[in-house]
Amino acid sequence: MQTLAVIVTTPPHSNLTTTAIDYIDCALKNGVKIIGVFFYQDGVLNASTHLSLANDEYQSTKQWQRLHNGNALPLYLCATAAEKRGLGDELGDNKQSNINNEFILSGLGELVELSSKAERMVQL
Amino acid sequence: MMNKNKSIAILNSSPPFSSANGKDALDIALIFGSYEQDTSLFFQGDGVWQLINQQETDSISMKNYLKTFAALEFYDIENIYVCATSLAQRALPDDFHIDNVTVLNSNEFSKELHCRHIILRF
Repeated sequence: MQTLAVIVTTPPHSNLTTTAIDYIDCALKNGVKIIGVFFYQDGVLNASTHLSLANDEYQSTKQWQRLHNGNALPLYLCATAAEKRGLGDELGDNKQSNINNEFILSGLGELVELSSKAERMVQL
Repeated sequence: MMNKNKSIAILNSSPPFSSANGKDALDIALIFGSYEQDTSLFFQGDGVWQLINQQETDSISMKNYLKTFAALEFYDIENIYVCATSLAQRALPDDFHIDNVTVLNSNEFSKELHCRHIILRF
């Protein structure tokens, strides 16, 4: 089975993120195993619990949740990129998280792991 | 144990200080280098501005991440390529703030880039 890792650097309201989701769906449909999606730069914003996208617009958050839940697809966030954008899992006195449960905080080392393990790595 | 089975190209086409792309690309390069992966840097388009010598950032209240380029050699990142056409289009001299920069014409630049397994662009 072919293996793929994907890097997403665009925010949830970007159409390039929609392209990434379509690309992943298509790869899965064609029997490619996706070993992980790594979110870097503005891509980390896809994990925010505070997004409010208009009802008639593309619901990227729901799509990431669907991809994760339906395919056990690991979604890795770059912690440094996340912190810069106000995202974290231990915020304030109550150690609150504003990251959706489907996403895992990790570091750039995870990106190197993914690049090493996957036959292909594609950045969108 | 991490495989060392792939070569990685980091393609820079953004200028240094109007976005974080250059800094984010450098962070990735240094991480790949620290894992001893075969990593090369490519600069084309406005990305060539990242290599130009004597840039001063205090007056624009920016941290000068270009100074960190000096660390590349300690991570064994020795393949650094810049596109000659992009330099010429901007009338920039090949006066860079790091050593080991190879200036290539468009064809050679493209050839080098496309023999890497993974291309990440910023």
